[in-house]
Amino acid sequence: MNELAASYSSAAARPALPMLNVRIAWRNLWRNPRRTWLTASGIAFAIMLVVFAMAMQLGQYELMMDNATSMLSGHLQVQSRDFVETERFEDTLPGATELVRLVESWPSVLSVAPRVEAFALASAGERSFGAMVVGVDIEAESRTVRFLDFIQSGHAPQGPGEAMLGSVLARNLGVGLGDEVVILGTGKKGGMAAMLLEVVGLFTSHQLELDRGVLWTPLASVQEAFGLGDEVHTLAIRTNDLASSADTQRALADHLAQGAPDSPALVRNWDEVMPELHQAIEIDKLGGDLFFYIVEILVLFSVVNTFIMTVFERTREFGMLLSIGTRPWRIVALVQWEALFIWAVGAAIGLGIAALLVFWLAEVGLYMGEQLSEYTAQFYMPERLFPAFSIEAFTNAPLVMLVGTQLAALVSSVRVRRMRPVEAWRAAE
Amino acid sequence: MADDVVVCRGVTRTYQDDAVPVLALQGVDFTVTKGEFVSLAGPSGSGKSTLLNVIGGLDRPDAGGIHVDGVHLNELSESELSDLRLSKMGFVFQAYNLIPVLSASENVEFILQLQGLPAAERAERAQAALDALGVGELAHRRPGELSGGQQQRVAVARAIVTEPVLLLADEPSANLDSNTTEELLALLRSLNETRGVTILAATHDPMVMSFAKRRVQLRDGMIAEDSARVAVA
Ligand SMILES: Nc1ncnc2c1ncn2[C@@H]1O[C@H](COP(=O)(O)OP(=O)(O)O)[C@@H](O)[C@H]1O
Ligand SMILES: [Mg+2]
Repeated sequence: MNELAASYSSAAARPALPMLNVRIAWRNLWRNPRRTWLTASGIAFAIMLVVFAMAMQLGQYELMMDNATSMLSGHLQVQSRDFVETERFEDTLPGATELVRLVESWPSVLSVAPRVEAFALASAGERSFGAMVVGVDIEAESRTVRFLDFIQSGHAPQGPGEAMLGSVLARNLGVGLGDEVVILGTGKKGGMAAMLLEVVGLFTSHQLELDRGVLWTPLASVQEAFGLGDEVHTLAIRTNDLASSADTQRALADHLAQGAPDSPALVRNWDEVMPELHQAIEIDKLGGDLFFYIVEILVLFSVVNTFIMTVFERTREFGMLLSIGTRPWRIVALVQWEALFIWAVGAAIGLGIAALLVFWLAEVGLYMGEQLSEYTAQFYMPERLFPAFSIEAFTNAPLVMLVGTQLAALVSSVRVRRMRPVEAWRAAE
Repeated sequence: MADDVVVCRGVTRTYQDDAVPVLALQGVDFTVTKGEFVSLAGPSGSGKSTLLNVIGGLDRPDAGGIHVDGVHLNELSESELSDLRLSKMGFVFQAYNLIPVLSASENVEFILQLQGLPAAERAERAQAALDALGVGELAHRRPGELSGGQQQRVAVARAIVTEPVLLLADEPSANLDSNTTEELLALLRSLNETRGVTILAATHDPMVMSFAKRRVQLRDGMIAEDSARVAVA
């Protein structure tokens, strides 16, 4: 009796190893292989679909952001605080040369392109249209953005008096290569600014706003014509990594605050410069997430169903286990182990297939079709999609399904926690 | 009194779930002493299972007190009852005694694992218990690969491997043919005689009654006859 009392108390003190439980759980899966495979296939399907779709989606966003930033705006921009708010011509960044040098000296900055942006009237013969005259350093632009890729005919403006026009603007003005365009605007101090430019290049970006309203000409001549000194409106910046541009933004802001404490310079990240793109991505992501959750929840319903059935079928077995002195939580734990295994089988298959698809498409890409490109250019979408090798894409669905299957098992084994052994025996009769 | 393994005093159990309440036990006074082999006889519906269940702490009486090995069951919580069953009692039911996905030895080990015994000791004791029941050779087989009689022997092995104070068996031979029943009973009897295992077995099988040293007859939830009392009287 004393001996038994001793073993009784030690049983309570020492938690038993779960090994037998684990063995029971694993073997139980194969008591009904058909059902297990069906359930695991559902889990595999959800994981495969979500992992693959998420990798493609994130890959698409990466390309969109890369296309958008490298097209014209750059990863980061420096502008005068006031210019950001008012966009007034006179709110420039003074000491531009020194500022460019300062920005370029920051390690994660690859290149800097200074720009002046002047709104003016462009005329040729009888026709006149409003246009944004952008003074650029072509050499710096070619290192910072890919805008020059859009040149349709002619070449980039190299020397004073040369201009590159958006193709729609040129058509509206009725000019072609070799023709002349007169620019009339208001200088910084209120005087008239005038330029006579020769069309040396035409570009088509498929962004109507640019094609219809932008004209590039060398920086120095715009500064001179519009009465600016060593001043610019914008520094477009290419960093070494778009994904961490927000970090570079913060570091660069500190760097400028120290190096040029009097400058009104404000460093902005691409998502501030192009809030509409950032928003479009966020909304698309939300839609994607909603779809993913619906797929996952539908599959989890079938998992709940499977577990309710397994638990119900084993009422008598569980009654026996309770009768011989098994605590209910142990039976609940057993069911949780079963859920873990069925998840592991499904996750292994689902992740395996998704990984194959992702690696394959990373090689060949997914062609989105020609007819899309007019529309897609608007959103900086590429013609060929490549998946992203993102940890998020590969872990999100497996984790959601892990938590989901555990909850499904827990819901199904509520019965066990309330079960009294005698009732379990009788219930099964 | 120190030798009393089971003491029931005025145990009453009424089932209310039907329109007419069923008086399954109507004031049962009953004592089992250490080392006894008691057969609980009586026609179907006489309350045998109900009495075993309340003694085993699987069910609670409406009135009356039950002591097992000096512990007052009425005072225990569900989880304390569960631990008491694990440490002091062995159970053999009519069927579905075993975990289908475990081998015979794993089934026996399972209960030792619940008690927290280390793996090496578990394996050794499980094998010894199976050997004692004559099914040592079948240790690696799963219940589905065993005959009904072999399954019941494994169940008995599991019930005694923890060296319980009391072995409760509810119709252990109900699904067995008479030869197999006889073999099982002979084993129970030898466990009782050589190891001093206290056994309380409910049955309406006359063969079981003949193997037990003491026979208690239930009728309509009351003890109608008790060979021990007759002997005393
Ligand atoms: N859980 C229960 N609910 C309702 N009635 C029950 C329950 N368990 C047993 N009974 C009834 O109680 C009486 C005694 O049953 P039981 O103890 O199983 O008898 P025995 O084991 O001798 O056949 C029977 O009339 C039976 O129908
Ligand atoms: Mg019965």
